[in-house]
Amino acid sequence: MITQMQVKGLMFDPSNNAYIVVLRDDEHSDMLPIWVGKSEAGAISMALENVTPPRPMTHDFMKSFLDAYNAKVISVVITDLSEHTYFSKIHLMYEDSEYTVDARPSDALALALRSNAPVFANDSVITKQSSDELEQWLENLKPEDFGKLDS
Amino acid sequence: MSAVDLPKEQELVEYRVERILEEANTDTRIVVLVRQDGLLDTFPIWVGAAEGNAIKLALDTMITPRPMSHDLIKSFAEHLNITIQRVVIGDVKSSTYYAMVHVANKGVERTIDARPSDAISLALRAPCPIYITQDVLKRRNTSNLDAWLAKLESKNVSAPEVQET
Repeated sequence: MITQMQVKGLMFDPSNNAYIVVLRDDEHSDMLPIWVGKSEAGAISMALENVTPPRPMTHDFMKSFLDAYNAKVISVVITDLSEHTYFSKIHLMYEDSEYTVDARPSDALALALRSNAPVFANDSVITKQSSDELEQWLENLKPEDFGKLDS
Repeated sequence: MSAVDLPKEQELVEYRVERILEEANTDTRIVVLVRQDGLLDTFPIWVGAAEGNAIKLALDTMITPRPMSHDLIKSFAEHLNITIQRVVIGDVKSSTYYAMVHVANKGVERTIDARPSDAISLALRAPCPIYITQDVLKRRNTSNLDAWLAKLESKNVSAPEVQET
């Protein structure tokens, strides 16, 4: 089973000096946090905030690359979690054929947001159990931990 | 690179990535391109740290456990049978270099606008040749080059002179 998720936002995680992309399902019952690096977070942040940079950033170029031959991103699926690493697949449609391409979630999400493609997560990777824990952890974050993206 | 007569300024000169230099105390890297046709020339391009690292990974032929962004673009090309033919640094405006990535699929050629860092990162992975137009070689600001050389000799690094962002 897969569940559709929305990219809710980004947070800075001071304890790991990393960023967290927060995905939530539409009912807000499930939450999926994905830790990403700074430049990866920047790529997602620009798409979330609809910032148009003067020059194409890497994922804008990635989208142009697909647009050049009318290849469409149909969806992105966060498929697996193994040893603290999330895995994802990008589903493409090109000339009536479907292609599935392995990607890091940060790339998949940065591309999905630019392509208005839906994001799904395998139920097995959604952290149902630790969700309460995460809520508590989120509450403990100081306001200044949010919105610190400077890239 | 082709038998077609191009205007002189559009003629292409092949370059190769020689190395990536780190600038101490800054968030920038310098991509050092060297001319391939026998003439001695070095062409530096300032890029961001993340962009420089992406190029360095390809230059060192490092295999990362997970595909990096430009590996993903290459993977798209492979899945869709798109050939990455060449990369051309073809314009410079206000100290910003502009690149085009030339691709082909079933005889249909397209060019895609890119920052030089993305173009070079992809070129190293494709792999495909990197060209700079005569026009850009002529119009590059040599005062930047002097500044660059000065920087290389000095540990006291200031803000970059040529940034591509």
